[in-house]
Amino acid sequence: MSSDQTGDSGPAEDLAGRLEEFEQEALKVSDRPGWDELRVRWVGRKQGIVRTLLAGLKDVPAGERRDYGQGVNRLKQKVEERLEEIGAQLDASEKSISRQAAAVDVSLPGRRPEVGAIHPVNVVTQHIVEIFRALGYSVADGPEVEDDFHNFEALNFPVGHPARDTQDTFFLEDGRLLRTHTSPVQVRTMLARKPPIRVICPGRVYRHDNDLRHSPMFHQVEGLAVAEGITMGDLKGTLEAFLQRLFHPDTGVRLRPSYFPFTEPSVEVDITCPFCRGEGCQTCSNTGWMEILGAGMVDPRVLSKCGIDPAIYSGFAFGLGLDRVAMIRYGIPNIRMLFDNDERLLRQVQI
Amino acid sequence: MIFSYNWISRYLDPGAGADEIAGRLTAAGLAVENSEPRGDDVLFDVDVTTNRPDCMNHVGLAREASTLLAQGLRFPDTTTDAADPAVGELARVVVEDGYGCPRYVALVVRGAKVGPSPGWLVEHLEAIGQRSINNIVDITNFVLWELGQPIHAFDLAKLAAGTIVVRRAREGERLTTLDEEDRQLDPKILVIADAERPVALAGIMGGFDSEVSDSTVDILIESAHFDPARVRSGAKALGLHTDASHRFERGADPDICRVAADRVAKLIAEIAGGQVQKGALDVRNEECDWQLAGHLSLERAVRFGGVDLDAADVVRWLTGVGFSMDQTAPGEWDVKVPTWRYYDMRPDPAKPISEPQGPVFEADFFEEILRLHGLEGIPSTLPAVGAPDQGFSTAHECRQTIRTHLAASGYVEAITFAFHEEVADQRYPALEKAGDVLRLANPLSELYVVMRRSLIPGLIGAAEFNQRRGCQAIRLFEIGHLFPGGDSTELEAVALIGGGQTDLPWDRAMPFDLFELKGVVESLGARFGVEIVAGSAELPGLVSGTSSQLHEATLTGPNMGFMGQLEDARSPYPLYVAELSTSSFSVDQVRPIELPSRYPGVEVDLTLTQSADTAWSEIAQTIRKAAVQDLVSFGLKDRYWGEGVPAGAVNTTICFLYNAADSSLTRDEVNERHEAMRKLLEQRFGWKGEV
Repeated sequence: MSSDQTGDSGPAEDLAGRLEEFEQEALKVSDRPGWDELRVRWVGRKQGIVRTLLAGLKDVPAGERRDYGQGVNRLKQKVEERLEEIGAQLDASEKSISRQAAAVDVSLPGRRPEVGAIHPVNVVTQHIVEIFRALGYSVADGPEVEDDFHNFEALNFPVGHPARDTQDTFFLEDGRLLRTHTSPVQVRTMLARKPPIRVICPGRVYRHDNDLRHSPMFHQVEGLAVAEGITMGDLKGTLEAFLQRLFHPDTGVRLRPSYFPFTEPSVEVDITCPFCRGEGCQTCSNTGWMEILGAGMVDPRVLSKCGIDPAIYSGFAFGLGLDRVAMIRYGIPNIRMLFDNDERLLRQVQI
Repeated sequence: MIFSYNWISRYLDPGAGADEIAGRLTAAGLAVENSEPRGDDVLFDVDVTTNRPDCMNHVGLAREASTLLAQGLRFPDTTTDAADPAVGELARVVVEDGYGCPRYVALVVRGAKVGPSPGWLVEHLEAIGQRSINNIVDITNFVLWELGQPIHAFDLAKLAAGTIVVRRAREGERLTTLDEEDRQLDPKILVIADAERPVALAGIMGGFDSEVSDSTVDILIESAHFDPARVRSGAKALGLHTDASHRFERGADPDICRVAADRVAKLIAEIAGGQVQKGALDVRNEECDWQLAGHLSLERAVRFGGVDLDAADVVRWLTGVGFSMDQTAPGEWDVKVPTWRYYDMRPDPAKPISEPQGPVFEADFFEEILRLHGLEGIPSTLPAVGAPDQGFSTAHECRQTIRTHLAASGYVEAITFAFHEEVADQRYPALEKAGDVLRLANPLSELYVVMRRSLIPGLIGAAEFNQRRGCQAIRLFEIGHLFPGGDSTELEAVALIGGGQTDLPWDRAMPFDLFELKGVVESLGARFGVEIVAGSAELPGLVSGTSSQLHEATLTGPNMGFMGQLEDARSPYPLYVAELSTSSFSVDQVRPIELPSRYPGVEVDLTLTQSADTAWSEIAQTIRKAAVQDLVSFGLKDRYWGEGVPAGAVNTTICFLYNAADSSLTRDEVNERHEAMRKLLEQRFGWKGEV
């Protein structure tokens, strides 16, 4: 435009050449330092070409000054646009280089901290303990080597009682025995304390039985509540609350009258089959129900033997096989697999 | 126990469908576990619990059903047409053991014709799986399954002097029983004898020689009551279990003897055509009183059950199953217990049958009422006990804390048997051995013969199980009771076994050595604020030089357990074990935390050339005792042998952290403190040997 207006090599003519010059230099930039150099040389604040050109404004004849000024500004704008463009290209290629350098196969396995496992029986035990804690119970322990009094006699199994036959007992040479159930702990608790009592007693028990479906050692949890005015309804309500928390909130609970020497009335308790939710399946023989525990109101003979007056106090007790619950929960088909201690199985149980 | 629906229905008026009867019985505690149609009959498999011998027969079940259905019960006809001479002229009964046999009834039927049974009788017996033998034996069997009373029929001609003597067997006596076994008897066994020798095992099984045969004409019917304990010990001694002993051991009806005998006599007369002789020989022990009674209050029953009950229902139910009730006030009754429930309801089952019993526990009546009411209708409630249970103990928390800690440290919890083989008890150390090991009198096998005094053998077994399945890294623990022996109380212990590593370079697995295991043991102790220190000790089963006793706080502190490398392990890699008593662990006390300084600390290392014989614990103890100001912690950084270290010495590099609570330490202050530490350690432990 204005550069064509004069024949001499004035500042205006110079500007077109400058832009050409810049474009040539810009083509040679290949990295960040080159880009920096180009930027400083052209639009540097102190000695940049654009700044120098602006400083030359005062030497331009007055009539051309306006055109010249606008020309420099246009040059500056173009240079800056181009610099930005090159900068962005450099950014992109730098990112791609650093990405290449850092790239990993993110699908490779992480290095996990080695975490162990709690035995499934004890996971179930703890779950049950927590349920009863919330209901105000405490946990009681007792010895595994017991005497006849605590394991049988105080529980209304007199000597020669046929119900003793159902509890194949390991005897020690000194006449004591391995407890066949956790019920001796309720005897010990009642002998040691006054009502109100609410305890649960998890532990190992032993029966002289070793075949595909039995283990000579297994686990039970015993529950006991003794106070004034404990009712059969309390037993029912407690078992419902417990079993619905242990299995599923919709679990149906059914009580059937039965017999145990140490409770009266005695009940066997069924739940709706946890596998089919009561629809009927192979596991529950299509009945929709599964027998899960034995319970009852503490027999007055047991209360008396334990120094508690059955005319004043009543109570309930229940006993549940923990191994069976673990088998149901984790789908373990055989009780003996629980005591193989196969770490490939055990490690799958979450802490 | 199998029962026939048709047979039960004989006694019901008017009766009901098989499904309804099965359902009602099940709901009342006589669980019909299986119901199987067979021809025009239905067979019930009923789980009759040991306390209900009165329901181990068809009339007994019909009595329950009639009450549950609010129907009539048709009791079998027992009337006979008796003729002279009276029984007393034909036979004699002497009961020598009136406690073993509190009642003995004998009837005589003469001129019967032994032969096959009529069709209806065969059918009834076969329905419930009983084989027909001849009409006389079948009738006794029928009455057993009808009324629950075991009956024996003797060939009167084969009883020497027509005499029955109920007595204990004499030493050396023998009897060939109905099953043609020749049996050695002893005085524990109650027998029926004639004037000369035993002819039957009382309440268990008849004798072969005196049984009814084709040639029998005159029959003596025995209907007796035997003490459950006596029958049980006899049956046990002989290893016999029969339909008769099953009922007597659980308690037959003491008052049914005559009724059942009459029923048998009537059926023999009808079927085998004999003549029932007048009267009966009926010997009773008058000391035995089968009458039990107690008081029942409706209000208390309601309170016990937590369910509303109607007085009229209660009366109908209880009288229906045989109780007699005498109202003393509205909702209050004196209740008499039927004799067939005597053994179930006596308040003190340990008392001999000849001793009087006190009043029946009211809960026995509550049980009857609730089971006949049905449990389904009882509303669900929770005990109205306000405060949490007062017997709070933290033992369970403690166990659970150990469990969680070890699992989080990479160990898998095992559960092994509490008994093992004798040799395992001797091969490894034990926390406590007090007297002789506890031995099982009836072990499953030689592998499970003594109670464990250590968890280690069980864990080794579990480790071997896993190694056989290719496991390359064993990390197992168990918490369990130990049985020190003698009269000592059981103690609880935790044991660990570890060894091996995964061989994947990607995982950069550390080689597993003693200090990997020790680290877990120490951190477990630290979890409970217990410092566990190891003192070298020679222990059985552990590699010499690696084994140690573990103590609480100091080497002279209480013994907590042991640790070391297993000797003689059939393992492809070394296995390390530790066992600790849990008694030092408690979650009862919360330890206050130490507030960390707000000012930066300074870490300084120190390398000490020391004798390789000096234990680290000694150095650590010295540092701790020195109590250098502002030293907040120190740790072992490195141990180095080899080039530049004299033989017999080791370079130990220790890292110290100095940190003041209330200021930033200057370089000079740190130097001053550290110099004191350096001097102390150099003086005490610095290498003085050849360089």
